[in-house]
Amino acid sequence: MLEIKPIFNALRRSKVGAILLFLQIALTTAVVSNAAFMINDHLSYLKEDTGFVQQEIFSFGLMTFGKDIDLHQQAERDEDMIRRIPGVIDAVFIQAVPLTGGGSSTSSHLRPPPEESKSLSLAYYYADEHTLDTFGVTLLEGRNFRPEEVVIGSDFDGHGPNTVIVSQAYAQEMFEGESALGKTIYVSSRPLEIIGVVETMKSPWPRGDRSSRTSIIPFINVQNFHRVMVRTEASERDSVMKVIEDKMLSQYDQRVIINIEGLEESKNSYDATDVLMMRMLMVLVVILVLVTALGILGLTQFNISKRTKQIGTRRALGARKSDIIRYFLVENAMICTVGLVIGSFAAFFLGRVLMNAYSINALEMQFVIGTAVGICVMSLLAVIVPAMRAANFSPSIATRSI
Amino acid sequence: MFLHYIDLSIRSIKSTPVISVLMVFAIAIGIGLTMTSLSVFHMMSMDPIPHKSQAIHFPQLNIMDEGGEWHTDDNIPYQLTYQDAINLYNADADFPRSPSFRSGFSVHLNTPDVKPTMEPARLVYQEFFSIFERPFIFGAPWSKEEQQSKPYVVVISESINNRLFNGQNSVGKSIYLDNKSYRIVGVVEDWDHHIKYYDLNNGAFNSPEKLYVPFSIAPLEEIGTWGNTNGWKHETLNGYQSLLQSELVWVQFWVQLNTAAEKEAFSALIMAYMEDQQSKGRFNRDNLQYALRNVTQWLKYNQVVSEDNRILVGLSFMFLLVCVANILGLLLAKFLKRAPEVGVRRALGASKKHIFAQHIVEVSVIGLAGGILGIVIAQLGLWGVRTTNRYYEALATMDVSLLLAAPTIALMASFIAGLYPAWLVCRTQPAIYLKSQ
Repeated sequence: MLEIKPIFNALRRSKVGAILLFLQIALTTAVVSNAAFMINDHLSYLKEDTGFVQQEIFSFGLMTFGKDIDLHQQAERDEDMIRRIPGVIDAVFIQAVPLTGGGSSTSSHLRPPPEESKSLSLAYYYADEHTLDTFGVTLLEGRNFRPEEVVIGSDFDGHGPNTVIVSQAYAQEMFEGESALGKTIYVSSRPLEIIGVVETMKSPWPRGDRSSRTSIIPFINVQNFHRVMVRTEASERDSVMKVIEDKMLSQYDQRVIINIEGLEESKNSYDATDVLMMRMLMVLVVILVLVTALGILGLTQFNISKRTKQIGTRRALGARKSDIIRYFLVENAMICTVGLVIGSFAAFFLGRVLMNAYSINALEMQFVIGTAVGICVMSLLAVIVPAMRAANFSPSIATRSI
Repeated sequence: MFLHYIDLSIRSIKSTPVISVLMVFAIAIGIGLTMTSLSVFHMMSMDPIPHKSQAIHFPQLNIMDEGGEWHTDDNIPYQLTYQDAINLYNADADFPRSPSFRSGFSVHLNTPDVKPTMEPARLVYQEFFSIFERPFIFGAPWSKEEQQSKPYVVVISESINNRLFNGQNSVGKSIYLDNKSYRIVGVVEDWDHHIKYYDLNNGAFNSPEKLYVPFSIAPLEEIGTWGNTNGWKHETLNGYQSLLQSELVWVQFWVQLNTAAEKEAFSALIMAYMEDQQSKGRFNRDNLQYALRNVTQWLKYNQVVSEDNRILVGLSFMFLLVCVANILGLLLAKFLKRAPEVGVRRALGASKKHIFAQHIVEVSVIGLAGGILGIVIAQLGLWGVRTTNRYYEALATMDVSLLLAAPTIALMASFIAGLYPAWLVCRTQPAIYLKSQ
């Protein structure tokens, strides 16, 4: 009924067109499914929630070169001043700004080292009780720091803090489902009691699988170069960003304010490489699909125009228009199927090669299937128009020259 | 004959405009995409200092006790400790060498009319300028004597000189770095590099420093690094002096070794140094281990060419392959349609060779057009790259070699695509087509 045998025999007599079509479909399947998978990987990262109210936060760097002040007292005065600017919700001096690519992490242990115990890497922010409010992260369990728990100094091991707030992701990984509240972790040799657990709070390096293991440690060690984060009403942020430099310098002028930047801008520049890769892959996929579609269209047209006489003869011998259309559809479907099967294998092979060579996850099945279905539909659409045209050949014209 | 074939092919292209335009576009897009990713790749992997990349070396010492692990391929830390850097610099040998790290200062003239700005700075010894051949506009590097005993001197870059001194010769004048006054001894050209090969700590495409101060300033002013500091054992640090004594690595070191013999001599020096240190209680390991890589090896070791980029280059060449397959199909359709015409030519005496040549010329004309259009597309692509990521601003450009490569690759691609159709059409039997006329 589908006349597979005769179609196959006919294909064997004109291999080139079929082979080209097959090659194109196979290659496109392999490339597009891998590219789509990588695009998805980048996209899902870019869409990930960071936990911060990015559009309300900005940060800047503060380089103090004057030696005639106490940095900690000045920091207190600055914080007070910033918090009083209209539109500002809260502000905090912090050693590392989230999502910027620069920060600190350490290893944390369940038992004091050198005792052997479970240990996990942990990104940390040194800042005070205003941090939760400035970040805009959600406290799930426990409480915020009390002002008296915040330690000012430089000797973390000897006279450091005793408390810590950790992210939910860290708590779950470290304590495997038990409540982390009240438990103690060891950072360097210092025991820290977990007094709070926050929902999502990304590290300074949001890319990567450890980016969710974060903590806030109530320890202030103001350096010549320090960072300040300010949270404002979203609508007020631009105006606060404009005046912040002058306000800071009018407090004390032996210093430089640099990199006044909204948090989403910081993240954008951190992500620039990802975005670039994603855009290039997208362009590649779109153009590749277009080119393949054109190629399929061209090849089918070529295959059909070569067989004008054959079609005319068949029509003259009694084949209906639908028979002609079906013939080409089936022929195309046959080539397409072989192309897709081989292409899928090639896709997995390519995915494997990429995975071995680079830090890429294993290609997931659904991307290959999705690509295959898409290409199948595309190639059927590409064949229908020329096939309809072929079916409309008048037998008399097609056979005239014989 | 060749010109005649070109004439023929232009006629043929004109007679089938749609299919020809499609082919030109297919090549152009394939070339455009390939060239975009290839340009970035080319710029990333380009030798930053071709005539010296084999001579400038970076020594690494394995300072860890037995069993220590580092995240590098050969398990040796990327940077040196302060004490090792200083000791290697002070060792008795003639090779030009310099420790170095990136930091920064607020720069001002201690007058109210110039607002202080923050500028990244590099702390080096005077040899650094000759090793990396930094051209001076005014003045010269500070002397050995100055860096020993009167180190408050600075070399500023052209752009700072332009901003603070309107481009005048500022040698001998003073500027303030933080709250100390430094005497300017030289003005050096801005370092316009694609890859920051001399310090990969803050990213290979980080911007260059605009100030150079003697390395000996570091302990005096307690200057910390703006790059990475890594450790391999737990140490309690108490102040800057303990950082200098510690096993933390945060200093880079470059040495110029022109010949294999010099390299060997310096290796021996490192080995002797490590043995000496071992006798003083450091380097508790069975096998003393070091590495001495030149710039080329160093860039490779640090994986400067990003993964993403390699993948893109690979994918875009596959894309070009798809384009070639496409063109092959289109050419087949086009050439076989012309079979009757070819039959007549053959009957009139044209040899197979002539027919083949005629069609290859036609394909090449299409390929060339595609290649040139491809360059335009690649420029568009590179513009897109530059606007997406300012990191790539210096990288996403095409140099002459790639401008020439584009049409060459286009020609090759179209030639490969045209071979089979041209061969097929030149085998046309004249008899068949003469009969049906």
